[in-house]
Amino acid sequence: MIDTNSSKIIGYFFLEHNYDLLQEPIKGDLKLTFNTFLSYLSSNPFKSYDKELSYLPFLEQLHGFYQVSGKALEFNFVFDSEKQREKYRGLKVPRITWINTQKITILLDRLEGKNDKICYKVSNVVQSEKDRPNREQLWALLSQPFNTSADIELHSRSNAVTVFNTDFNTLDQILKKKTAVSQLAKKKIALKTSVKPFYDVCDNTSHSSTLANLILNKKELRNSTSDSTQVYKVIQQNRNNMSQEVYRCSHQKIHFLPIFNQNTDLSLGDCSYLDTCHKMRACRYLHYFTLQPCAAKYNYEDSLKEASKKALNHEYTIGQSFTDYQRKVLPPQWIKCDVRYLPFSILGKFAVIISDPAWDIHMSLPYGTCKDFELLSLPMHELQDEGILLLWVTGRSIEVGRQALQNWGYTVSDELIWIKLNQLKRTIVTGRTGHWLNHSKEHLLVGIKGNPPWINRFLDTDVVVSGTRETSRKPDEIYDIVERIIGLHARKLEIFGRDHNIRPGWLTIGNQLSGYDLHERELVIKYEEYLNKREGSKPLNR
Amino acid sequence: MGQDRVIYNRFAGGNQNIYPESGQLFGNVGGDREGLVEERKSRERMHREPPNGRGAIVMENDYSNHYIHTGKTPIQHVRNVANPMDGYPKLQKLHQLKRNQIEKHATKSFGCRIPSEKIVPTLKTWIKDFGLEFDVIMIGALVENQFIQPLLYQLPLYRLCAKPGFLFIWATTQKIQELTKFLNSDACNKKFRRSEELVFVLVDENSPYYPGEGTGRQQPLFTRQQWHCWMCITGTVRRSTDNHLIHCNIDTDLQIEGSDANAKIRNNAVPPSIYKVAENFSNSNRRLHIIPSRIGYNLPVRLRPGWVIMSPDVLINNFDPLTYEKELYSKSLIKYKQLNNTQKPQFLVPQSNEIEDLRPKSPINVK
Ligand SMILES: [Zn+2]
Ligand SMILES: [Zn+2]
Repeated sequence: MIDTNSSKIIGYFFLEHNYDLLQEPIKGDLKLTFNTFLSYLSSNPFKSYDKELSYLPFLEQLHGFYQVSGKALEFNFVFDSEKQREKYRGLKVPRITWINTQKITILLDRLEGKNDKICYKVSNVVQSEKDRPNREQLWALLSQPFNTSADIELHSRSNAVTVFNTDFNTLDQILKKKTAVSQLAKKKIALKTSVKPFYDVCDNTSHSSTLANLILNKKELRNSTSDSTQVYKVIQQNRNNMSQEVYRCSHQKIHFLPIFNQNTDLSLGDCSYLDTCHKMRACRYLHYFTLQPCAAKYNYEDSLKEASKKALNHEYTIGQSFTDYQRKVLPPQWIKCDVRYLPFSILGKFAVIISDPAWDIHMSLPYGTCKDFELLSLPMHELQDEGILLLWVTGRSIEVGRQALQNWGYTVSDELIWIKLNQLKRTIVTGRTGHWLNHSKEHLLVGIKGNPPWINRFLDTDVVVSGTRETSRKPDEIYDIVERIIGLHARKLEIFGRDHNIRPGWLTIGNQLSGYDLHERELVIKYEEYLNKREGSKPLNR
Repeated sequence: MGQDRVIYNRFAGGNQNIYPESGQLFGNVGGDREGLVEERKSRERMHREPPNGRGAIVMENDYSNHYIHTGKTPIQHVRNVANPMDGYPKLQKLHQLKRNQIEKHATKSFGCRIPSEKIVPTLKTWIKDFGLEFDVIMIGALVENQFIQPLLYQLPLYRLCAKPGFLFIWATTQKIQELTKFLNSDACNKKFRRSEELVFVLVDENSPYYPGEGTGRQQPLFTRQQWHCWMCITGTVRRSTDNHLIHCNIDTDLQIEGSDANAKIRNNAVPPSIYKVAENFSNSNRRLHIIPSRIGYNLPVRLRPGWVIMSPDVLINNFDPLTYEKELYSKSLIKYKQLNNTQKPQFLVPQSNEIEDLRPKSPINVK
């Protein structure tokens, strides 16, 4: 072992002679180091140190120092136990190969009783103004963002007093800063995504009433099937009856024109059903006509082509398939089938699966009904080795759905919320749409299986805002969002899809589709094989 | 007119074959598909015709697409964020009347500042020595690490909560599994039924409520914009007969940041609109909010009239059970309920005939 005093002396010795010891001619040779140490002792007035020190006791002390300093020295042999210390005798030249001065400094600071200080301070400053009341000053102080800093004073030898200023606001900002990867991925996806026509809603009520007065009573438009082309013809004809501003605005923004008929009672406010009201003529609440500019020039195909051309010039390609630009998106594929009996193995594997089951859950039952049991027992594991699964759920089925995802081997990573909008682009707040509270949203559970490296994160947000359509029809925005995550060419499956769900690049299965249409060769072969087999086995079943 | 809304965006171009030579096949199968297309049996095909033949296509705005190009979040296009009841004067009136009634009968604001580790023992004392009960209990706030789990498992919630009683628990998507486990556990005795899932949506990443990109093993796929608040019910309550206890369908299960245009408060431990949902739903006057741990500077814990707020961070520490009881008796409408031969008081917010007329009752009376 080694005492404090000896540790100090050896420590200062190594700090002082750090370079001399490691370089020519000593080169860490232990014997020469010992000699140097002896001369260091004689040239320094250490009272309590044994000047008659010999080599072996020196090694003992060196070993002690080696241990208390946390192995601040490195050797060309193992300098650990008694036994191993014997070994160095066999070495031609036992040497010190490295001196860790940092560790020695820390040890010496400890021995000298110098501790590093960390002081946290709130460094918010408010200039005290004599004429301002204290309360106002306090308020000014409180309304600033808190600015905490930590000053760390290090009593190291090399840098006597170092002060680090750690301002937590700055730290927070650095941590929150988007990485280059996420910024570039966002830029790239913006280039790859076609720009769809977009119209803001005009909030100027005088525009809407002017347009309503001019248009809605016209004979040409009495017929409720009139489309916007006809409406804009009427606007063109009445161009002189409105201000330039209104005319221009009618072509740039969406206007909701109030429809007044003899039954309308303005004090009642808007109809809860608006454009889906079944008895619009008799209904006393207010309804609206949506005047929306036409995107005559917009063509989905062209805009997609343009987008992919733009994206070509962007050099960021991480996470992108190198055959992206040669590949064409497959036409929609679908199979009409009873999902419960179709052998999933013929379908192959998918990067993403969307499922919108018709949940049938009774409020009184603790678990799903038979139908849900069947749904939960689908062999989903056959469809995906790794990838994402999206499952639409409502009410009680939220819990069943979460459980199902877990049982199928997925982790629920997100929940997309679909905020349902009505005709006026407002959330749905009336209509007793839920049991205790009204429901203005639906949940899409998102599960991840495995650790797919090919998914792009943080491109979209977990809130989708979109209008309602036919009962239970979900927003198409979801498809684009999914394609941004997994890429355009990954295999995509929708279960329980209907005719309106079919889509290029997707395979849709469900019992409400019509016939089948397949384009992937392996899929065609396997499915037809299955059909033939089933045909063949039919007589047996009878 | 308006109802013939046409959604026709994906397949503009109709029945012309956009995909003349689809190439890539899945798996390891290569080869030509061309021949197969010819061979393919005639099948029923589905084509999408443009709605009015040629010409103009009215497309619904695609807010997600717009977000990709502009960075403006879809939620910012919702037109009734500032005033959710826009266009429904009766509903607005109902909300105002309920607000007046709740404010008039609210106890003064109570704060109970207490270190995290003392929350459970203190609540146990309240139950044991003072027989305190609450009708509405909210737990948690809009912070990721709030250590709700140990609290839930140690606390005799079913004794602290009156029957019928309502529980509002905050969680992120990632924490929801844990809550499910709790509700089905022995600790909770399966006495609370998960009844609604409230969602609070924030505007964008600059919001004080922005939860960040998430920590832990499983990163989310999307930029997060939501918090979940479970509403659980214990005891028996019927929406048809118990209208002195609850009012249903006043609010929705979705609250959006910035919904109270008049409110100066931009950041709070819990958005005021969620407190309002609880107040509008339950007509009982005893409300407790427990925030089990420190939640940082950015979301201060503010007091709210009608609530006892218990947190290590709450600014004012003025709660004592006796003063609280006095407040309750002086502010509430007291109704006695027969329970095992004893008279048990119910502390209620009295309702007016006008409110009764306006509130949603049956599908016919919705408007
Ligand atoms: Zn306008
Ligand atoms: Zn109507």
